[in-house]
Amino acid sequence: MTRSVLLTIVFLLLVLSSSGCTDFVEPNQLAFVIGTGVDHVEDGTMEVSQQIVIPSQLSGQAESSGNSNSFVVMSAKGRGIFEASQKIQKKMSRRVMTSHRILNAISEEFLIKNDGRKLFDKLNRDPANNLRDITVLIKGRSAKDYLMLKHPIERLSSISSGKELQINGLRRFSTRQFILDSLSEGIRPLLPVLEIKDFKENDKKTDPIAVLSGFAALNKKLKVKGILDVDESSAVIWMAGKGSFHAITIPWKNGKGILAFRLTHLQRRIRSVHGNDLKRIILTVKAQAYLIENTTSLDMSEVDNMIEVQKYVNEEIQKEFQITMNKVQQWETDVIGIGEHLHRKYPYWWKAQKDDWDDNFKKVQVTVKSNIRLKSVGTSGGQIK
Amino acid sequence: MSAISRNLKENEAFLRERFFNCSDIVFRSFALNDENVLLLVYLDGMTRLQGIEDNILKPLIFNGLPQGIDRLSTLAETFRREWLPLTNLFTDETQEDLVQHILQGNLGILVDGDASALIAQVHGYETRGIQEPKKESTLRGSKEGFVENIRTNTSLIRRRIIHPDLKMESYTIGKFTQTEVILAYMQGIADEKVLSEVRGKLGKIELNGVIESAYIEEWLENNSFSIFSQIQNTERPDIVAASLIEGKVALLTNGTPFALILPITFWSGLQSADDYFERFVFVILNRFIRYVMTFISLALPALYVALSTFHPEMIPSSLMIGIATARENSPFPSVMEVFIMMFIFDGLQEAGVHLPNQLGPVVSIIGALVIGQAAVEAGIISTPIIIVISLTGIAAYTIPRYSATLPFRLVRYLLMFISGMLGFVGFAFGIIFLLIHLVMLESFGTPYLSPVAPFDGRRIKDMIIRYPFWIKNGRNKKWRQR
Repeated sequence: MTRSVLLTIVFLLLVLSSSGCTDFVEPNQLAFVIGTGVDHVEDGTMEVSQQIVIPSQLSGQAESSGNSNSFVVMSAKGRGIFEASQKIQKKMSRRVMTSHRILNAISEEFLIKNDGRKLFDKLNRDPANNLRDITVLIKGRSAKDYLMLKHPIERLSSISSGKELQINGLRRFSTRQFILDSLSEGIRPLLPVLEIKDFKENDKKTDPIAVLSGFAALNKKLKVKGILDVDESSAVIWMAGKGSFHAITIPWKNGKGILAFRLTHLQRRIRSVHGNDLKRIILTVKAQAYLIENTTSLDMSEVDNMIEVQKYVNEEIQKEFQITMNKVQQWETDVIGIGEHLHRKYPYWWKAQKDDWDDNFKKVQVTVKSNIRLKSVGTSGGQIK
Repeated sequence: MSAISRNLKENEAFLRERFFNCSDIVFRSFALNDENVLLLVYLDGMTRLQGIEDNILKPLIFNGLPQGIDRLSTLAETFRREWLPLTNLFTDETQEDLVQHILQGNLGILVDGDASALIAQVHGYETRGIQEPKKESTLRGSKEGFVENIRTNTSLIRRRIIHPDLKMESYTIGKFTQTEVILAYMQGIADEKVLSEVRGKLGKIELNGVIESAYIEEWLENNSFSIFSQIQNTERPDIVAASLIEGKVALLTNGTPFALILPITFWSGLQSADDYFERFVFVILNRFIRYVMTFISLALPALYVALSTFHPEMIPSSLMIGIATARENSPFPSVMEVFIMMFIFDGLQEAGVHLPNQLGPVVSIIGALVIGQAAVEAGIISTPIIIVISLTGIAAYTIPRYSATLPFRLVRYLLMFISGMLGFVGFAFGIIFLLIHLVMLESFGTPYLSPVAPFDGRRIKDMIIRYPFWIKNGRNKKWRQR
């Protein structure tokens, strides 16, 4: 009895250890992919580039900042991401692991010449993909070029862009959100656009770095319909209900001096003017404003001036946002999600609309209204004389 | 069973033969008319010589024979009733009893022509004074600890519970040691089923010697092969007193300061006497820390191995890259590294227990410098592992009772190995097996995991958080009724 129990235990241990111990992968057998780039190749395939960390270069704090690279970019061509990744794997001494990816970079050229939806199926279907990463569009250059860039502060360009987007309050632009938006019928995805620009670090060195230059509005087929600049995209993000922070600087009526505000508690509200008749929509943006700079001659401790300024800010924002809204409507891409909102409120109406919403969106008359409340005028009233 | 002879010479011959080569036995005879009529036998070192001299020898030599208040049939009765000013005096009829009582440190008085022996309880020997218990020190509360003498120990409990319902049944266990074991309980509060089970088991113990309470502990346990002890040991009389009032049963063993308490639950190992001596708000925090640390001490090495080698995607990216960087040159797999470090850590701990006090610092130097620093610098062990193992070690010390840490130490190894083989699946299996075992385990009829499983809402109050005493006593209920 004891003997058979002992034997069972020994065999169990042997079976477990012989089958189990081959399964584990030590961290030094892994290649951590931090960024992935997708580029178009003329023969109809794609080129996938993986930015891979070199852990041994990261260990020393001081020495590695100089000449040695803390990453390597490996690329391969293939008909799909998986095929290309397998080709990259064959070149690597370590198992490529994409779960820690921070950023997906797609070149503008790729989205123009290929069907983007096929790419995102690959990103979505494989459960090994970490959808917390951010998908960005690289304008002008190839994604591979972008991945090869060095950043003056961060060790990897992907990490720097990831952080940049997070610091600027754009956490909602994860790949997960992107895929959700691209699958929803009533909203079209917005994609952050990075541009490579020269950056003068100090008087000796000038290096190219990637900076956020706006957002691309994509249509249902994931084609780029237009690119919003930084100010416009900020407005669109607010109107889409994804923003948390907005900053505006406006000149005063008489052209003398400027007023700068920080806007927080951003909200938006969509309603129809005549109940079920959804031809005219009013989109109200709401926020709390804090006056940061005031170079006009107004004494802000006067209540009349405060009301005046609040009214003026509302008018300006209304005007500016209306222009942006019209622009987006001309592109026929509902990046604001008006369709999605109306879908929930008027499901029967939506049934007739959803098939060609891109077209219908253009026909809806959207009026932007603004409801900004001036919360604080700062610590000083008028100009210091 | 042979009776004591009427003839003193025969008795002396028997005792001298029985105590042959026992150099610490003293025979002292008194002659009357050149004939021995009186024999004193005692064990030197176990008796209070002063008492013998003052109470027995002095009246015998100086006062002469008593006049008598009554007609006395034997000399022995004369001694007992009129002569010896001792509180505890009784007679033995058999030789075996006589020998036994002499060995316990009593004075045997044999008189010629009497078929019984007089036993005077004058035993007394050197004992350790009452000191603070070192193993279970508390910040607040009594500084008294049990000692080796069982009478002192019973008095330490009696001092705390002044009530006739506190019963102390005496048992003698051990063929050679004849150790006195006392079963203490509060009548009416303690569970009768537990009591009869303990009584029955105490009667069945067959041991040559009971040197420590651990000897009887193993006889009493229902699940001897479980790694979790079903009986608590303590050297604090206040813990014993509190447990008795809660309805538990205590066993005191002569010759050891460690009393046994039963039945217990899993959680009593994680509770300290200080929990009841500090303000309850802080106790809640302390208990929370202790429970979390207990889990860390159990699972951290296993979790580290499982996460870093099977599920690296579950670790935050920057941490994972940090771990990978630190592990870049490690020659061993993580499981082996963790195992080596755990083994060395436990080895150091074991060495520290046995080392003479003067050599203590040597172990810490060897441990810290030679093994810790050198192993990392030589690239044999990676730094995260050092952190994991030292955190595990510190976490294990938050468990207040030493004997409660031992099962965790064993489970830690098993969990680590199974996690190293199967990853999280293995970890989950390990935890499930552990829980199944704990749920099945019973300590004298009390489920080991109660009040969690089976769930008891009222008693759980004292497990996770400690309510203030007045809530436990139900005083607030009375207040509300008013």
